[in-house]
Amino acid sequence: MTSSSLEAQPVQKSKLKIERRVNPKASWTLAMYLLAIIFGFALTALLLMTSGADVLKAFTALFKGAFGSPKAIYSTLAKSTPLILTGLATVVAFRAQVWSIGQEGQVYAGAMGAYFGCLVFLGLPVWIYLPVVVLSGMIGGALLGGLAAYLKDRFDVNEIISTVMMNYLIVFLLSYLIGGGPWTEVSTTVVYQQTEPVPEASHLPFLVAKSKLHIGFIIALVSALVCYVLLEKTPLGYEIRAMGFNPIALAYRGTNIGRTTILVMMISGAIAGLAGVAEIFGTTHRLRADTLYNLGYTGIIIGMIGGLRPLGTVVAGIAFGGLASGALYMKLLAQVPSALVPAMQGIMLLTFLCAAVAARYKLVRTKSDG
Amino acid sequence: MSAILKAVNLTKRFPGVIANEDVNFELRVGEVHCLFGENGAGKSTLSSCLFGFYQPEGGHIEINGEVANFKSPRDAIHMGVGMVHQHFVLVSEFSVLENIVVGTHESGWRLNLADARQRVAGLCAEYSIDLDIDARVGDLAVGQQQWVEILKALYLDAKVLILDEPSAVLTPEEALRLFRIIDHMKELGLSILLISHKMVEVMKADRVTVLRKGKVVGTVRPADVTPNELTRMMVGRDVELRMVRDRSDDAGREHETVLNVENVSYRNSRGKLALDNVSLHIAKGEILGLAGVSGNGQKELFEILSGVLIPDSGNLSLDGERIEGLPSRHYMDRGVGMVPDDRFREGLIPEFNIRENMILGWQRHDDYTNGIFLDQKQIGTIADGLIDEFQIATPSGATPVNHLSGGNAQKVILAREFVHSSKLLLANQPTRGLDLGVIEYVYKQIISKREDGYAVLLASEELEDLLNLSDRIAVMSGGRITGIVDPQTTSIEEIGLLMAGGKQDQAA
Repeated sequence: MTSSSLEAQPVQKSKLKIERRVNPKASWTLAMYLLAIIFGFALTALLLMTSGADVLKAFTALFKGAFGSPKAIYSTLAKSTPLILTGLATVVAFRAQVWSIGQEGQVYAGAMGAYFGCLVFLGLPVWIYLPVVVLSGMIGGALLGGLAAYLKDRFDVNEIISTVMMNYLIVFLLSYLIGGGPWTEVSTTVVYQQTEPVPEASHLPFLVAKSKLHIGFIIALVSALVCYVLLEKTPLGYEIRAMGFNPIALAYRGTNIGRTTILVMMISGAIAGLAGVAEIFGTTHRLRADTLYNLGYTGIIIGMIGGLRPLGTVVAGIAFGGLASGALYMKLLAQVPSALVPAMQGIMLLTFLCAAVAARYKLVRTKSDG
Repeated sequence: MSAILKAVNLTKRFPGVIANEDVNFELRVGEVHCLFGENGAGKSTLSSCLFGFYQPEGGHIEINGEVANFKSPRDAIHMGVGMVHQHFVLVSEFSVLENIVVGTHESGWRLNLADARQRVAGLCAEYSIDLDIDARVGDLAVGQQQWVEILKALYLDAKVLILDEPSAVLTPEEALRLFRIIDHMKELGLSILLISHKMVEVMKADRVTVLRKGKVVGTVRPADVTPNELTRMMVGRDVELRMVRDRSDDAGREHETVLNVENVSYRNSRGKLALDNVSLHIAKGEILGLAGVSGNGQKELFEILSGVLIPDSGNLSLDGERIEGLPSRHYMDRGVGMVPDDRFREGLIPEFNIRENMILGWQRHDDYTNGIFLDQKQIGTIADGLIDEFQIATPSGATPVNHLSGGNAQKVILAREFVHSSKLLLANQPTRGLDLGVIEYVYKQIISKREDGYAVLLASEELEDLLNLSDRIAVMSGGRITGIVDPQTTSIEEIGLLMAGGKQDQAA
């Protein structure tokens, strides 16, 4: 009775059965992902209709805002920069089956580390100052990630719990520092939760004049390349992938799992930290909490949609950057509530996760066994 | 006495294996009946069929003379069959009472704990089970948790109780108590099916059915046979055609000790003494066979000898160097190779391809790296060479090992461990589940390592193989070495007795 629910009704003497694929075919996988996009948009259309918006108008505005003009594309790429980075942070951790949800907090830690660096090292020549600021951000993220891994290794603290808790801690710490603490902006009469603007020398240079696109996007692409090489071409990457599949055999053959976990979380944290650096020193040019909000959590979705692969993550990151950038347009031109954008992201995640599972199975027609 | 539960010509197959073939078996009212046999003889499969967990492909089951068609354990429970598994199914946060009542489907929407309490207390009194029914199950000792499982079955009005190796998790005192109460249950009219491979327990049963390789060898009364005869029935009379090692050079062997184990003890995470004062030594060019029913400490011994586990006490030395407490990396670097018994879980990364698996553990070695990168070309050359040398049947070195047969996967492990080790080979059940051709190949390879001067520790459940290959055989039972025998002069009966606990306190 239970098994027949997976099977279609028997047609004459043969029936359709779902079987696991030994080797998923690339073309089939691609087809499943295309189907996921179509399904995702169809479901989104339903959602838009319930909100009373003109679906066609809304989608047109979305695409225009995302990819309709050079300016739109620059804005999309700028918005995708931190998302690609948090996505890559997810890839590195999840490939090792270290379930870190700490990318969110590591983005803040990265931004704070870099802000600290930009104050401390002010005065250094620009060509060394900027790299040092970026590096401070990476260290900030790496320390927060490493702390969760240390707790896991030393005290067997579940990394999901510890990273989520640290996400809260770090936000409160930042709130204190910029909402009355030592980093709070003092020059204005109104107290915002923000710092003074960062020194001009620490700004990430723009790639295209008069656009929002800064060098952070290149950093994100280089990070993706580094992640790919790390995972596929180095002994550490071998250990990370092996740990994701079978940590027991890896430990049996002499690899220290605790040490590898700490390395994985530090690398993941450093990359997430870069997202914070890119956002603060490339876009907002002062440290504030609101622009960093949700970059880490969205990165988890992006890493998953990207199939936990660096290249896939870049593509997913740019798509989500487009979604974020087009959402503004959609809101203005089609009166669509902006709250629908995260809902769209959620729908896309679900359809893509379904596609990833579907890609591993095939339908076969079998003779009925009576 | 009439049969309450009966299996008639029961056959159960799993892909590639016949677990039960034409099994005829009957459990009479008010008897303790023991199922006896080696691991993999089909005891658990038979009891799972009787409990409705598996559905047989041939034959049928009768209850009180009527054909019963169990679709699931629920049907079996409904007909008065209860089973206590080796691994308990309890909610540790719940109280004893809650564990017994939950999931019985009798309570309906509302839990009537007051009535249940009365019944459970009544059952405890009836069977003289001493248990605080309000205690949290997580706080109970393992032996007491077993009572909760038994009460669960009794609460559902079980007339037949199937106990799967109930004493495996118990201390000797707890086991004694269990068997006293089993006797009491019998007097009260319950029928008990006991699965065991401990001779002491087997001899206490009213009748014993011996299984070997999925078939019933016979049903006897322990009073009519000797333990030796039972062991013989279990292990098999007919000696199969097996690998026989050429022993002509045995006399001139070197006696230089490679591995020396002294008084090693290890308590596992559940607090059970898995290794109890184990001492042994293996010399250069010697195969030390390790016999024993699995689960008697062999796995822990292998893990300690390869550095995966750290012993609580005792010394290990390799070529005179003390190595206990060092991480497994150091054991590998000093030339220790390990073939684990669960090859896909402990020896391989199933999703990785053959080439990648060939370097597992050695991924940072100079031979396989080029600067900070893996040297894919070199890895490919070496791995493909090993694939040829060890006759691994595969389309290419890029095939994931989870696409390989068990035998070919095992050859990947052998190739890797042989090539990277130099003096000690630890092989735990290296032939388990393999077909005869591969078994012969594996043994030939192990013999060749012996000839190269390796010290070899070889554990196997196939006693004949150990007799044919080993220079000496150590027998384990209950975490202890119960004897070390000479394969030339010993008998299967002697080893069987030692495996079942036999003569204790023999010097190792």
